[in-house]
Amino acid sequence: MQDEHIVSSYDRDLETIQAQIMKMGGLVEEAIMNAAVSLEKRDEELAEQVRQGDRAIDGLEETINEEAARVIALRAPTAIDLRVILTVMKISVNLERIGDYAKNMAKRTTVLAQMSPINGSPSALRRMAKEVERMLKDVLDAYIQRDAALARDVMQRDHDVDQMYNALFREFLTFMMEDPRNITACMHLHFIAKNIERMGDHVTSIAEQVIYLATGEMPEETRPKGDKTAVDPELSPGDSA
Amino acid sequence: MYDAPKHEPTLEQKEIKFAARNVQVYYGDTHAIKDVDVDIEDNTVTAFIGPSGCGKSTFLRCLNRMNDTIDVCRVEGDILLDGEDIYHKDVDPVQLRAKVGMVFQKPNPFPKSIYENVAYGPRIHGMARDKSDLDEIVERSLKRAALWDEAKDRLDAPGTGLSGGQQQRLCIARAVATQPEVLLMDEPCSALDPIATAQVEELIDELREQYSVVIVTHSMQQAARVSQKTAFFHLGYLVEFGETGTIFTNPEDERTESYITGRIG
Repeated sequence: MQDEHIVSSYDRDLETIQAQIMKMGGLVEEAIMNAAVSLEKRDEELAEQVRQGDRAIDGLEETINEEAARVIALRAPTAIDLRVILTVMKISVNLERIGDYAKNMAKRTTVLAQMSPINGSPSALRRMAKEVERMLKDVLDAYIQRDAALARDVMQRDHDVDQMYNALFREFLTFMMEDPRNITACMHLHFIAKNIERMGDHVTSIAEQVIYLATGEMPEETRPKGDKTAVDPELSPGDSA
Repeated sequence: MYDAPKHEPTLEQKEIKFAARNVQVYYGDTHAIKDVDVDIEDNTVTAFIGPSGCGKSTFLRCLNRMNDTIDVCRVEGDILLDGEDIYHKDVDPVQLRAKVGMVFQKPNPFPKSIYENVAYGPRIHGMARDKSDLDEIVERSLKRAALWDEAKDRLDAPGTGLSGGQQQRLCIARAVATQPEVLLMDEPCSALDPIATAQVEELIDELREQYSVVIVTHSMQQAARVSQKTAFFHLGYLVEFGETGTIFTNPEDERTESYITGRIG
């Protein structure tokens, strides 16, 4: 970590704002896991808890923005201090979006609980959510440690999440073609899969911010684009399949 | 989002005004400036920053040989202005200082009228043929220093009767009256209030169109606001020199980072 500032209240301001990011990250990790477990276990109470919990996440985002604005106005941060402030503002937006996706999963879980289950897919979705949650945990560690290498590793792992999404996309299509009565449930499950895939993208964007924080430069390499369902006709079997 | 070309600030190549190579300055046995190499561009504001005693003012004063007045001071290495060695034995320091003007920390108008403060330099350098020539120079200089409107009805009043900010602008008018090519400023705003400071900073930005401006400042925010290039001095060394935006967002040297972020370095 950096040396301390001569004005120690400046250090306290920066520590406070970073502690809030960590707290927000912890709540979001919990929301992802709870949303996935409630889906698998058809636990409507836990799903409701995730929906209620999103308020605390939104509240923290607001607090972080206000604190960041205050530090900019009062301290005119430069260099590493400036990058801390710029990155917390962006990361809090990413975390808030991930929280929203978890909340949306929980809403759909409440609807899905009323329908007959689709074999296997909830546990596949939970594995996918688990991977995203691990990536989030690692990227938050990378943030605190200013560890660009760990952040790059997280960016690479988003590829796996995209692969899982591609596989589920095919699976849901197959289920729907097999029996039109599966369509409603599969549509909801597909949105959940897409939500988790988008969470991975937000984690990747946090990883980019960590690299900027640590090195002062945004990563040059294009991030891996693993969601092929929009561009690859092979993944969308139609009538001919 | 990756398709758009990465935004690079395009800095056109400016002419080099001052080129310093391997400059050493000694005050008696004290080695105050060590191995300084720097290129100072034309039409650019260059800020020198660094803690007290780092050598930034000493180096600034080398650029118009103000250090000649200190007996124990010795300058080694090369300082070229437009390719000419300013320490060459044929160079007249008085002529040099007409080309390389200076504004000091504390406004120091002569105890004469506003008009005489500005007219003095051009008169001793024989830059005006007659009174109307001199009137024109005084008006142009006061306008350039953004003091004309406030001073035009009281040109015979003593310069020392102006406010601090007006006095500093009078000193700037006095410095630009001899049509210098470079303006050196040693903490020009440290005795001024924020409004006067803003007026001087606005002026510095305008002066950049015609001059190369070098400013020593203890206010990092001032360096960030007015300069395009920043040089960080520490313990007599020029630690880092670069584009101001880069120095303040992503400095290369740890010592620069510690200093600009207010850490114990």
